[in-house]
Amino acid sequence: MLPLARGIYSNLLQITRNGRVAIHTASALRCKAATEESSVNEEEKEAEADSAPDGKDRTKVIPVETSIRYLKSDAYKTTYGEEHVWTQYRRNHKGMYAPRKTRKQCIRQGKISTGNPCPICRDEYLVLDYRNTELLQQFISPYSGQVLSYSKTGLCQKSHLRLTVAVEQARDCGLITYDVPFREYDYAEYYGKKEEQKK
Amino acid sequence: MSLFRHIRKLNALQNVRQLSSAGLKSSTLQYATDPQPQFTDAETQQLLQSMTQLQLDKVFRKRTVPDNSVHTQFMTTAQLEKEFLQTIEKAQQLLQMPPVVKIKEDTERIISKDPALKDFATTKYVFTDITFGLPQSERKVVVRDVDGTLSYATLDITKRMNQLYFPLDGRKFYTPRMFSDEQLFQRCLDEHKYEFILDRLTVQYEPYEAEFHNISAKVFEHLNESKQFDQLRSTRHFGPMAFFYAWHRCIDDLLYDMIRRDYLLNAVQLIALSYKIHKVPLDYQATLRQLEELQPSPAVKALAELRSGLRQHQAKGIENEIQTAIGKTETDFQADEISLRFIEQYIGSEHALKKVQLELAVQTLKELNLEKQQLYEGLKKAHGVQQQAS
Repeated sequence: MLPLARGIYSNLLQITRNGRVAIHTASALRCKAATEESSVNEEEKEAEADSAPDGKDRTKVIPVETSIRYLKSDAYKTTYGEEHVWTQYRRNHKGMYAPRKTRKQCIRQGKISTGNPCPICRDEYLVLDYRNTELLQQFISPYSGQVLSYSKTGLCQKSHLRLTVAVEQARDCGLITYDVPFREYDYAEYYGKKEEQKK
Repeated sequence: MSLFRHIRKLNALQNVRQLSSAGLKSSTLQYATDPQPQFTDAETQQLLQSMTQLQLDKVFRKRTVPDNSVHTQFMTTAQLEKEFLQTIEKAQQLLQMPPVVKIKEDTERIISKDPALKDFATTKYVFTDITFGLPQSERKVVVRDVDGTLSYATLDITKRMNQLYFPLDGRKFYTPRMFSDEQLFQRCLDEHKYEFILDRLTVQYEPYEAEFHNISAKVFEHLNESKQFDQLRSTRHFGPMAFFYAWHRCIDDLLYDMIRRDYLLNAVQLIALSYKIHKVPLDYQATLRQLEELQPSPAVKALAELRSGLRQHQAKGIENEIQTAIGKTETDFQADEISLRFIEQYIGSEHALKKVQLELAVQTLKELNLEKQQLYEGLKKAHGVQQQAS
């Protein structure tokens, strides 16, 4: 019994070492303690590894439906209140004036690589997708109907690009309405020349 | 293995083609004959314009466009008066109705067949006349086929070429997914985005295209079920909508809505329009003329509304105040009586389909009117002494 458990344990340790190098060291250690007691099986160990996730890990893909539900939840309300997702965000920068452009990306190699990630990157449950209209609406100006600039919202360049793509897709699908340019008809073109002669 | 892949690729291609060609299912109601002569008729146009109404707040609502700056200026009264007139004119321009014409069929017109030119290239050549200032319908687009025939381009190619050289603002080269995907379109309808759909339709398609007819018919049908006619009131699409209902003999819901909202003049006009289209031997013109004398046209009403912001009503006296409090004048009551008589006549005839509903609406409106009239007369009596004194 004991050698078998040890074998499983060493295998698992290898997997964790290879796969999630820096992230799960703590949980691996805890696993060790558990195996010394030799009363824990494989599944429990894995569950334990998941229970202490790294706050900076962004490898998990969150489906849009979850994000849409999140935007309607109480958790969202307590975090952001009635305000937009980006209103409370402030950029960190040296000196009086912020650099013209925001940072290129907040997430590198599946991890948040900065101390002050942009409003979309900091909350992993905000998914930019054309179906997530409630989120997209927060980034559209109520006056001009355009996507707000990153200098106002503070989005990183990568998120901003994804935002513009998602908004354009949503408009194409008719999920977000906008004011269509007015088209003036030249009636003579459709009704023939008779109208012109009458005038 | 490679063959397998090839087959899969072919399948995928077919799927794509099926998706693109499927589009939306055609609607049940379509114009059987050419509706254009009826629609362009001066009387019809006047009826439709009057029915559309002119609510300045709605026509000049704040639009979310990149440039919506406001210009502020000091003006004399004369200048302001001129500006008012221009405003009304501009509003009428913004309410220009999209043309209702029949679907144009694609005809193949061959100019010449030159077998000597066969296989001159592996693709077709399209030649477009890009002279500045030509209207779209007169622009010549010809195609030289691979087998050497020279022919006029199909409507599809012509439209594409026009868009390429003279782009129309807001039109896309591809069909927006909103119009090609049945589910997305249905979702738009269910969310009552009627004006958005129709606005986009006018930009994306030409009025003589089959898609234009199909989609607009679907929107109007859905609107007839959801009964949110007020969304289109005072927009450019109200006229074609009313015309569509009158043409297909389903005006009852719209009529009910008009009566409920106390737009009796419009209700009479709608009935008159349906009589006119279906050539019912009934004299509606006398009633219309009477009503027009009593009630001003929408343009005049809008102008009065603009002017009322300018002048003080204090000079006009107590009678005017009573009228504004009740919302109706003596002429309005007269006009209501005439129009109610006309509407009841329609309800009694065999043309009305939802008789019970309409009758109820008319009855409630009558009671309301009676109350208002009594109040009006009572107030006048109460203030009458003052009038004589002053």
